[in-house]
Amino acid sequence: MTKQISIPGKRSRIRWLPQDNSLLKYICLAPAVIYDSIFFLLPLVFLVWIGFWSVENYRAVPGFSLANYSDIFSQFFVKSRYAYAIAQSLWVAITTTALGILLCYPFAMALMFLVPERLQRLLLVLAITPFWTSYILRLYAWQTILNNNGLLNTLLIQLKWVEQPVTIMFTQWGTRIGLLHYLAPIIILILYLVLRNTDRSLLGAARNLGATQWQTFWRVILPLSKPGIVYSAVFGLIISLGDVLSGIILGGGTGQSVLGKFPLFSTVILNEYAASTNLPRTSALATILIGIMMIILVSGLKLTESES
Amino acid sequence: MNPLSAAKPQSNPSLQTGVPLTENAIAATAHDLEIRGVSKQFGSLMVLNNINLSVKAGEFIAIMGPSGCGKTTLLRIIAGLEGMTSGEIRLQGKDITHLPVHRRNTPMVWQSFALFPHLNVQQNITFGLTLIPHNRADVKRKVQEVAKMMHLETMLNRPISQLSGGQKQRVAIARALITEPKILLLDEPMSALDPHLRVRMQGELKRLQQTLDISFIYVTHNQNEAFSMADRVVVMNQGNIDQVGTPTEIYSRPATHFVAEFVGNNNLFDGEVVSVSEKTVTVSCPQGRMQALWHEQPHQVGDRVTVVVPAERLSLASAGTPGENTINATLRGFEFMGSQVIYFLETDTGYEVRMIRQEALDQSLSIPINSKLQLSWKIQDTILLGEQIQ
Repeated sequence: MTKQISIPGKRSRIRWLPQDNSLLKYICLAPAVIYDSIFFLLPLVFLVWIGFWSVENYRAVPGFSLANYSDIFSQFFVKSRYAYAIAQSLWVAITTTALGILLCYPFAMALMFLVPERLQRLLLVLAITPFWTSYILRLYAWQTILNNNGLLNTLLIQLKWVEQPVTIMFTQWGTRIGLLHYLAPIIILILYLVLRNTDRSLLGAARNLGATQWQTFWRVILPLSKPGIVYSAVFGLIISLGDVLSGIILGGGTGQSVLGKFPLFSTVILNEYAASTNLPRTSALATILIGIMMIILVSGLKLTESES
Repeated sequence: MNPLSAAKPQSNPSLQTGVPLTENAIAATAHDLEIRGVSKQFGSLMVLNNINLSVKAGEFIAIMGPSGCGKTTLLRIIAGLEGMTSGEIRLQGKDITHLPVHRRNTPMVWQSFALFPHLNVQQNITFGLTLIPHNRADVKRKVQEVAKMMHLETMLNRPISQLSGGQKQRVAIARALITEPKILLLDEPMSALDPHLRVRMQGELKRLQQTLDISFIYVTHNQNEAFSMADRVVVMNQGNIDQVGTPTEIYSRPATHFVAEFVGNNNLFDGEVVSVSEKTVTVSCPQGRMQALWHEQPHQVGDRVTVVVPAERLSLASAGTPGENTINATLRGFEFMGSQVIYFLETDTGYEVRMIRQEALDQSLSIPINSKLQLSWKIQDTILLGEQIQ
């Protein structure tokens, strides 16, 4: 006679969830795994891999060599001066993201606390609608606004606020405006959701214990929305670092800032890709950018992890 | 009716006595909190309708009522977390009606505790003190004091997420008490605790209130909590105060139909007064004729009244004892509650009657279900309520 022995550890604790080795579990997991593999992991691995290839007779040859990296790092501060481009990219990304959070936080706050509940969803949809229109189209639309004889300058001159047109196009501010327009919907959505999840009674409790509205903001709302700020910063930095279109269409590919005249790192990668036939070297440059993004992502996650 | 005009006569006791006392001095000695004609309207909905209530210094007041009766709204109005349509609130004689919430010092213990999750126990407790210019040594001393009182000394550095429900509640109370308020507001603070802990906390809370000698205003829908702790109970219904009294008064002399139904295990019979004698009033109900003793309210023949009989006062009749009312009912079931047994009976007219007896289980089980019984109760245990005007 055999006895059925059940091993508690082997079973899922929630009964209706698929058991450890059930087929259902694999069927449910499969789409996510397949999707991520084909559209994310595979291209990434390929990109990193090509970075180790070499070029012989204008043709990329598979292999494993660190020549590309040693070449890049030898030019880090001289000739191509990649380090300066990276610094320029980080400068634009950090200032744009900070500006984005500073502009979107009051918006999310107003949406959450000043707008009646029934209108909040509508306004949120309106706020993130730009996200669904073509990015390139939006950048060209900005050109007509920011041009020296564009909408903004015409208006400013008509109002006699300025005498000469303000040059925004083909400056770093143009790049930032394009990026901000892209980032704002994401940042607003993240901040709004985090603020929405804040227990309203905590705000009442703070007021009840003697806090003014400002104190309630600084001591309760802001610290509690820290995860949202971190997530927004991670998104903003990664997208700004990776974006090349705003830098070209609105920034004109130039990069004049307090740091000096250096192009953005993403523009450098694009130019290398377009100008030279050295695909492995371009891949290596892209791998470096992805590495920087990974560092930002992981530190962002670590920062929010320690909160909870 | 203008609620303010109704409150006027009470507000000038100095004029009546002729003693040249300031109004503040009188109020300070007599009442911690005075709520005068407070009304709150949401559109056409009257959430609070002309509420008048005075809380004496050091009094434990329980505001009790079903959900939606306006009890929490009243508490939030006292705290200044919500505005009112009309009325006046005085704290120790000082008019705080228009004082913003953060300047009232009317701390509240929230139903969800509302502890700040990003701060640890000590930071939560000191929150109120650190909002204004403060002396660090002073704050430290006060934290130690309050923590000792609430048995929290060992967990001051713990994050909130690591506390149990009971500990969270103690932190919430400590946080409210550190600013040394004259009055503490509690909004169903026990509802998030398990029943076992709830009973223990009731005793602790009552002792705390007596030690501190400050007024507690405790909102609850739970009759046991209200009765076990409060000096006076306020029963609210649909934005009105139906009755204010000591737990005994509320229990034995419900003032309205609603209070009689909401409080205790009362049986209610509607009827009409058929005769009034020197001592007793006789009422004819569909369930039979019932007698009650005269009380404050005079009743006349033909008055519509409600006869209230507490379930604990009913007993199985032993052949026609004088001075008792009797009704016939069929036993439909019973519920064993440990020390007592609840009998569910049905009268011939299909009306449910409940009887609670302190009996051993085996005795009650000996009565078969569906057997016809005669129930009786003493005439002096009968409560008469006049027709409700609503």
